[in-house]
Amino acid sequence: MASLLAVESATKRFGGLVANRSVSFGIEAGEIVGLIGPNGAGKTTLFNCITGYMHPDEGRLAFDGTDITHMRPEAICGLGIARTWQIVRAFGRMTALENVVCGALKRTNRVSEARARARELIDFTGLEGRADMPAATLTLADKKRLEIARALATQPRLLLLDEAMSGLTPFEASMAVQLVRRIHVELKVTLCVVEHVMEVVMPLSHRVVVLDYGTKIADGAPENVVRNELVISAYLGERRAAR
Amino acid sequence: MRRIALALGVLAAIVYPIPLQLQGYTYYQTVGFLVLITAMLGLGWNVIGGWAGQFDFGPQVFFAVGAYVAALLFVRRGVDAWLGMLAAVAVAMALCAVLTYPLTGLRGHYFAIATVAIWMIAQPIGATWEFIGGSQGLFIPVKPHAGVVSTALSLQFTGPMKALGYYYSALVLFAVTLALMAWVERSKLGYYFRAVRDDQEAAEGIGIDSRRYKVVARSVTAAVFAAAGVLYAFWALSVFPEQVLELNWGTLPIMATVVGGIGRLWGPVLGAVILIPISQIMSTTLGTGPLAGRGIDLIVYGIIIILIAAFRPTGLLSLPWGRWLR
Repeated sequence: MASLLAVESATKRFGGLVANRSVSFGIEAGEIVGLIGPNGAGKTTLFNCITGYMHPDEGRLAFDGTDITHMRPEAICGLGIARTWQIVRAFGRMTALENVVCGALKRTNRVSEARARARELIDFTGLEGRADMPAATLTLADKKRLEIARALATQPRLLLLDEAMSGLTPFEASMAVQLVRRIHVELKVTLCVVEHVMEVVMPLSHRVVVLDYGTKIADGAPENVVRNELVISAYLGERRAAR
Repeated sequence: MRRIALALGVLAAIVYPIPLQLQGYTYYQTVGFLVLITAMLGLGWNVIGGWAGQFDFGPQVFFAVGAYVAALLFVRRGVDAWLGMLAAVAVAMALCAVLTYPLTGLRGHYFAIATVAIWMIAQPIGATWEFIGGSQGLFIPVKPHAGVVSTALSLQFTGPMKALGYYYSALVLFAVTLALMAWVERSKLGYYFRAVRDDQEAAEGIGIDSRRYKVVARSVTAAVFAAAGVLYAFWALSVFPEQVLELNWGTLPIMATVVGGIGRLWGPVLGAVILIPISQIMSTTLGTGPLAGRGIDLIVYGIIIILIAAFRPTGLLSLPWGRWLR
């Protein structure tokens, strides 16, 4: 069976800089895949290529058998991929509820139906009580939850989370991990989670893909990946790895 | 509270010109006509400028398109004003869609500059295109109608009833526009426009085709401007480039919207109700007498606008009225 998402030899260059060098990996339906790597490894670029904000210079991307290599973001969302942003992008002047309504309107033209769906997701993500606050006034942790609720409202089959836990306190991060688990179990959504914090991503992921300088250096179960020499050297440096 | 205010407003708008008319005045009916046209234009501009957040400084182009289409149909084909208005709205929306789509790749100041550029291109076209009368424009002949109903249907009011007739015509168009905009604000369109305004990338990520919705927003704006242009043309009994392509048809509604409250349904209405009477009072008091002809009225008017903008840049509707009125 073909993967839900297939990335085949994707290469993305910015002038002389190669942000992704012939990266290949797949995401199977029902998985939680962690995408990790040091800062500047090319994780966000890869996300942007998958979600249509950028297009790879070489290679091919397919979602559920459909070629999405050159599709626009709104079309890719229509197929069932949703994302959140490393630097939060809530609709600041709209209320939290209205943010989620905008997402729900992808699947219905009726505002009353979209509002009902949005209420459910506001509750699901633990934002009840903040539904009518302008999104710009929410805390960072709540804004990140709001982005997840808004993305879920588009009814994705694959949800890409770009550093949904960075910048949060340890308690907030543990709540976010719980939320990700509930999305996976209760909503049956496949997830790809970008993080550079190993402690967060390792216990959460079924499988981990590691990028370093734009190249995939490891792909496997978390317990195997942490023992991979290339991964250790990428994170801790050459000398430590050589010992 | 809201309902009472709305009922009082409706009542005032309907009753306002009657005592004046009975005393034989017509001036204040015309001021009311200008207030309503400005409020209507502001409601239209609020869609592209307030909700969709794209600064359009060239909406007056579609005011002119509307005026010309209806005038041409009336003069050359004898098509009545209201029917001509439907055609004018359709032409303006189609033209707007074609002209705006290439612009939607531009953002912020660049979008604003492009809308101004289209207005600049429209001016020489209006002044030199013989088909639409060149710089002379078109004159709209009055065809007398018997009876109130047939006069109202022809949108050609004359004599002592002229100001009153156009006041109520403007009131009807304004009310229709307000009702439509109230619907747009609560519909999917209203949500999508504001999503594109607040964050275009995030909007695309949840499946919103940002370019398409910018085109839709500006076409709604163009429709309102075209309808108002038709009303104005039949009031003025003429259409010529310097008149309908005047910059003020864009800036006055924009100022009314910003002063009243940009992105709020009632913002442009409040702004027009405040700004237009002030400008009229200034020109009748300061524009006459020893200082006449020096533009003192315009200077004072400008200062008042600057003061409001500096005191409350988010508009007068954003003041905590709820707390004050309780």
